[in-house]
Amino acid sequence: MPEGRDDVRRQSIFGASLAVVVAMGLSACGGDDSGASKTVRVTLANHVWTDNVKQALPEFEKQTGLKVELTQLGEDQLSDQYNVKLNAGSSDIDVMMYRPLQEGKLFAKNKYLADLSEQVKSNKDWDFSDFQANPVEATTHEGKPVGVPIITEQEVLYYRKDLLAKAGLSAPPKTLDELTAAAAKIKAAEPGVAGFIARTGKSAAVTQFSSFLYSFGGDFVDSSGKAAVNSDAAKQAYALYGKLIKDSGPANVSTDMGWPEAMAIFTQGKAAFYTEANSLYKNATDPAKSKVADKVGFAVFPAGPAGSKPYNIPSWALGVNANSENTGNAWKFVEWATSKAQTLAQQKSGVPGARTSVWANPEGTSTFPKDMVEAIEASTKSGVSHDRPLVVKIPEAREIVGQPIVDAITGKDAAAAADTANAAFQKFLDDEAK
Amino acid sequence: MKASPAYRVFRVVALTVVVLALIAPLLWMIAASFKTNVDIYDTGKALVFSPTMDNYVKVLQQANYVQFIGNSLWVAFAATVASLVLGVPAAYSMSRFNMKKSALVVLMARVIPGVSLLVPWYYVFSNLKMVGGSGVLILSHMFVSLPLVVYIMMGYFDSMPEELEEAALVDGLTHIGAFRRIMLPLSVPGIATAGILSIIFSWNNFMFALVLSDADTKTLPVAIFDFVGYASIDWGGLMAAATVVTVPIMLIALFVQKYVVSGLTAGATKG
Repeated sequence: MPEGRDDVRRQSIFGASLAVVVAMGLSACGGDDSGASKTVRVTLANHVWTDNVKQALPEFEKQTGLKVELTQLGEDQLSDQYNVKLNAGSSDIDVMMYRPLQEGKLFAKNKYLADLSEQVKSNKDWDFSDFQANPVEATTHEGKPVGVPIITEQEVLYYRKDLLAKAGLSAPPKTLDELTAAAAKIKAAEPGVAGFIARTGKSAAVTQFSSFLYSFGGDFVDSSGKAAVNSDAAKQAYALYGKLIKDSGPANVSTDMGWPEAMAIFTQGKAAFYTEANSLYKNATDPAKSKVADKVGFAVFPAGPAGSKPYNIPSWALGVNANSENTGNAWKFVEWATSKAQTLAQQKSGVPGARTSVWANPEGTSTFPKDMVEAIEASTKSGVSHDRPLVVKIPEAREIVGQPIVDAITGKDAAAAADTANAAFQKFLDDEAK
Repeated sequence: MKASPAYRVFRVVALTVVVLALIAPLLWMIAASFKTNVDIYDTGKALVFSPTMDNYVKVLQQANYVQFIGNSLWVAFAATVASLVLGVPAAYSMSRFNMKKSALVVLMARVIPGVSLLVPWYYVFSNLKMVGGSGVLILSHMFVSLPLVVYIMMGYFDSMPEELEEAALVDGLTHIGAFRRIMLPLSVPGIATAGILSIIFSWNNFMFALVLSDADTKTLPVAIFDFVGYASIDWGGLMAAATVVTVPIMLIALFVQKYVVSGLTAGATKG
């Protein structure tokens, strides 16, 4: 076949396929939104909070005359979508539900989140000062509010009332030492039941390990911004977390457990104590999901040498896309969804919010178990506003500071692992500061 | 030759082991889809449990799955038909006229990982105001299925004797006529292979649909994630949804399996 003919054909094929693509593009181009000012595009995560908002939406639409276009996704899919869309400078999203501690710093640094300084002051009745200090700290970037906390979360101690009573313990442990002793006692007395369970995956466990770290007086980063996961406090915290699971945990425990696996062990009745985020409590108290639904108690996180210092964080917040052409409507939605009335309605259905006034209102705590309310009250007073290192590349940082947890569980030297992790974490912080 | 009894026993045992290992996750999925969330985690009820249809009721009635199945079918079939319409003639000309460089360009599109194209695509398509429609999904799926079709069909056409075509030309047909009346009917097994592989790809594709679709146009793999929440995972619903996603594609694959196998090997034997 002569080469010349080949070339001609190739060109025409390319020309033809290009024409087809363009034609398809144009035909799909027509129509689509023009009345942008009457709609607000909201992207939310799969959560009970979202289900409640969806039910209340008609009320908002009636009040404001706006139409809400809602997209709902799982948390990691949501995150992926934000990273693609916001990176492309999209204005397709007006209001975004995001995780302040997992991606807040990244989003704020990339300027995806609009500065809300003016908006939060605009309405006295809405009252920004009503929000708890810890969560607000986590949704503030360089002194400016970039999000409004909607769902808060503290680490609490889940325990089995029946097993405690059987072991002759009248009250849940107040300190980590008491917890260690009680867990060992129950493990020895009850065949097939572990004394203690918690997350064991190196990334998943970091957040639930953080309260141990704070209660020993440590933190991931010290006040001068240096890595601090090999401080004496940190080494003790790693060693204790590992010891609890190694000595009192289930036999042959996997070192790859996130909350679904750890929760399953607890809800199948195979563990006495479990330190976990309180936002998951319905998994333990719902008879459709838990075999021990009526035997679960909650207590404030046990105190270490530095007292009881659980994290108190906003697991989710609402932000406004900085590229939105619709920020006025976006704020209207945020204001409504975070209003006192909506927060109260949310708490009545079991979603803990960030408003002090709603927590002070007896109606606001009516649906929570009583011991849970007490644990939350104590936690919000002594709490720490982060549950993981405050960096941009969170997933990488979690892998680094989580390694000593796994090493401690598998019986390796926790102190040596902490030293190794600290060196790696310092290098990570240096790289990120560049 | 008749196999010895020992060999036959060995064969049955080996096949059973391999098949069980391969379909165990599938069986677990189907069993879990009939269980309540408490029972799924209970190792004592792995095999014996009282089945419930609640999960399927949830999937098919409350979760809008009928619509998502429709979305998935439409995108998969439209992308596949469009890829075949463009790809089969393209493969024919590349094969007959020895267009190596064009084939290389098409292959390149096949090699580039889809994820690296997502950001530019999103940028382009959102400026064209196409994001959220099914048109953009069909186009994005064609980006993968078109090269697939071209490559399978090129191999197929290469293996078909040129004499058939020459005979047609001698009898007075044009090149296009020969392609349409002679080559096309003969290449049905190849087209079936390319088509089914393309449909399977579209049906399972998650990434493109995640970014480019919206609430009304999302396809099944994206919809499955509705059962995974921040503080709760509905395993039963998830497994029922996964079963609903898997069954149609397995049925299609079973029916056209013989074409797929013959089509793949037809291209492969050419030296």
